[in-house]
Amino acid sequence: MDFRLTEEQLERRKEFYKVCEELDKKKPKSYIGFESQFHDEEGWNFHRLCAREFAKRGWLALGWPKEYGGSGTMMDKVMLAEARGYYDLPGIDIFGVAMLAPTLLAAASEEIKREFLPKIASAEIMFCELWSEPNAGSDLAALTSSAIRKGDEFIVNGQKTWNTGAHFADWAFGVYKSDPNAKKHHNLTFMLCDMKSKGITVKGIPYMDGAHVYNEVYLDDVHMPAKYIIGQENEGWAVVNVLAGFERSNIDMVMGLVKALEEIVKFCNTNKRNGRLLSQDALIRNKLADFASSIEAVRTLAYRVADQQNRNEMGLMDAAAVKIFASELLEKFGQLSTDILGPYGQVKQSKFAKLGGIAEYNYQACFVPIVSMGTNEIQRNIIAWYGLGLPRMK
Amino acid sequence: MDLRFTEQQEILKKSAKDFLTKECPKAKVRELEKDAKGYDPALWQKMGELGWLGFNIPEDYEGMGYSFEDLTMHIEEVGKNILPGPYISTVVNTFAVVAEGSDEQKKEILPKVSNGNCILTLAWLEENGLYDASGITLKATHKGNDYHLNGTKVFVDSAHVADTMIVVARTKDGTGDDGITLFLVDAKSAGIKTEVIPTIALDHLCEVTFKDVAVPAKNVLGKVDKGWPIVQMLIRKGSILKSAESLGGLQAVVDMTVAYSKERVQYDRPIGAFQALQHKMSDMWINMGTSKYLLYEAAWLESEGMPSAKEASMTKAYINEAYKLVTALGVKLHGGIGTSSDHDVPLYYRRAKAADTVYGSTDYHRELVAQQIGMK
Repeated sequence: MDFRLTEEQLERRKEFYKVCEELDKKKPKSYIGFESQFHDEEGWNFHRLCAREFAKRGWLALGWPKEYGGSGTMMDKVMLAEARGYYDLPGIDIFGVAMLAPTLLAAASEEIKREFLPKIASAEIMFCELWSEPNAGSDLAALTSSAIRKGDEFIVNGQKTWNTGAHFADWAFGVYKSDPNAKKHHNLTFMLCDMKSKGITVKGIPYMDGAHVYNEVYLDDVHMPAKYIIGQENEGWAVVNVLAGFERSNIDMVMGLVKALEEIVKFCNTNKRNGRLLSQDALIRNKLADFASSIEAVRTLAYRVADQQNRNEMGLMDAAAVKIFASELLEKFGQLSTDILGPYGQVKQSKFAKLGGIAEYNYQACFVPIVSMGTNEIQRNIIAWYGLGLPRMK
Repeated sequence: MDLRFTEQQEILKKSAKDFLTKECPKAKVRELEKDAKGYDPALWQKMGELGWLGFNIPEDYEGMGYSFEDLTMHIEEVGKNILPGPYISTVVNTFAVVAEGSDEQKKEILPKVSNGNCILTLAWLEENGLYDASGITLKATHKGNDYHLNGTKVFVDSAHVADTMIVVARTKDGTGDDGITLFLVDAKSAGIKTEVIPTIALDHLCEVTFKDVAVPAKNVLGKVDKGWPIVQMLIRKGSILKSAESLGGLQAVVDMTVAYSKERVQYDRPIGAFQALQHKMSDMWINMGTSKYLLYEAAWLESEGMPSAKEASMTKAYINEAYKLVTALGVKLHGGIGTSSDHDVPLYYRRAKAADTVYGSTDYHRELVAQQIGMK
């Protein structure tokens, strides 16, 4: 077993951290934490700024084959995620760079790859996902949005929901029912579409803190060119599985926790209550040490996932475990940090806030990673069914 | 980075598994819990022949000279099976002799341990229950060529059958780190009285009283008054290795529980088909997954001679809790049978509590972690 990075990797990592540290200085004040790129124009512009800086260095195409403009290794991708997570920076389009690009590389036609990969790598276009529907969440195959083929086009009707960032995205990938008579899992088509297409209406769903992250997307007679099908017509479910099968190390989320811990330790070292530093409170020491140990546990497991990815091995259970554990650790941290701040734990980002209001923010924002990308309950099913070999729910 | 076991580690794991499956079935584990000695001398001899007792002892002293990382992987496998007796404590304690012993002490003790002829135990904790230096009050008074030891130690692993004890004593007034000295003491010396304490794992931890026990000055291990850093080293290495044993036990319980849930049929289906149980088993698995690489990282750092105190304490604090949690779930998911002493799961559940007290409790290690993450 060897946890050591090579000299070359350490150099690369230094570079990733340096660029991220510089970008961190340009972060607008309103950018409070992860997902803030979707909150307003200022956040989105910062996201695009970071993305362009990454694109300039080829960092949006890390680990891709050279023929599509790729450079670097999977490990580089992991180390960039680490640095970005530590500084809580956007700049990686989770839908375009993280999800769609590897799916295109694995399942799309040469033509599609040539058209879209360069645009993703250069940060020219940002994607959103038209996936869940009001009655098809975790049970995605129950979706009903219809795509009826007419010559070279599909006419798409229906409603999508929980579409993160759809109010800013340029393009979308989505999945629609294209054959009402075919058997389940052979009746869906996976397609790309321009979000400026006629008939698309985006309506925000306010998050519990009032922030604009999610949307509903209404599709009324939207014409989608059939040339933007990924994979085969009516075989979109297979593409969905390809996309879902890319394990993410989630090291960025973990590093966000590392930074959060550093900040709260600093706060406890410099703030007194009742004449005594918070850091000298035995209960706070115990809880933060527990938190630190849990972070290190999931950090090492995230590296295990990365190490497997780097060797093209599957790490389904480990990846699911990291996703569950890290997101629930964030939930716990939201509670712990608001507790430590006492009555100030409830204060929003403002002149009244301590720690810039991040505690109050995390107390609510933590549910985004918990319920998205396959809810943690779905992730537990994955571990139970595919990992432990327990009987599948019908 | 390569987070896979080496080929040698795979072989070591397999041979540990094969040996213990054959030599130490659960019937023997139960038998040894009730046995007066608490370990099987014949099995101990075989372990000596296989090199298990000299795993980390340099070849110059008739040991195997394996790395700390290899030892960790080996102990993890031992933990899966359960091996009653003072195996882990003996192995951990040899580190003190290897690192601090004089040539003479090394030649005297290490080959004996390695060949299965010396149980080496550590007399450390006292009735105050403190894990830090302030807990050490047993007095060693210099008289002529000897030191005289007076006081009481508790939770001394297998002191009643031990050959040599490393006794942690105070040689200078005070409560700090300074003034603590380690002695290599013949366990059969006059003035030593041992009594087995009934403990949750029935693992033969003893109370040991020292009444004017004369120990030759040449038996000081390391430097006079400067013994506490040696104890800290044993806490660090012991924490990693005890956690490895715990992780092995934790994995065994996950495997047993999953297997049982596939066999046990209620409401016309295996109980493992119920999501309420599936998600609990997933959580057991997550506890295992997150424990593993935390442990391996600490073991690797220790093996490479890099600073590992923070990771060792994180590992012990984390796995202490994970082991208790997972074994408790294991008991509950087995239902009634899981609560019987005839069943194997409670063997692990009881050991999870015992393990958490060895080489520092969760709260003790969390305090060390708090210091390590820079809390003032």
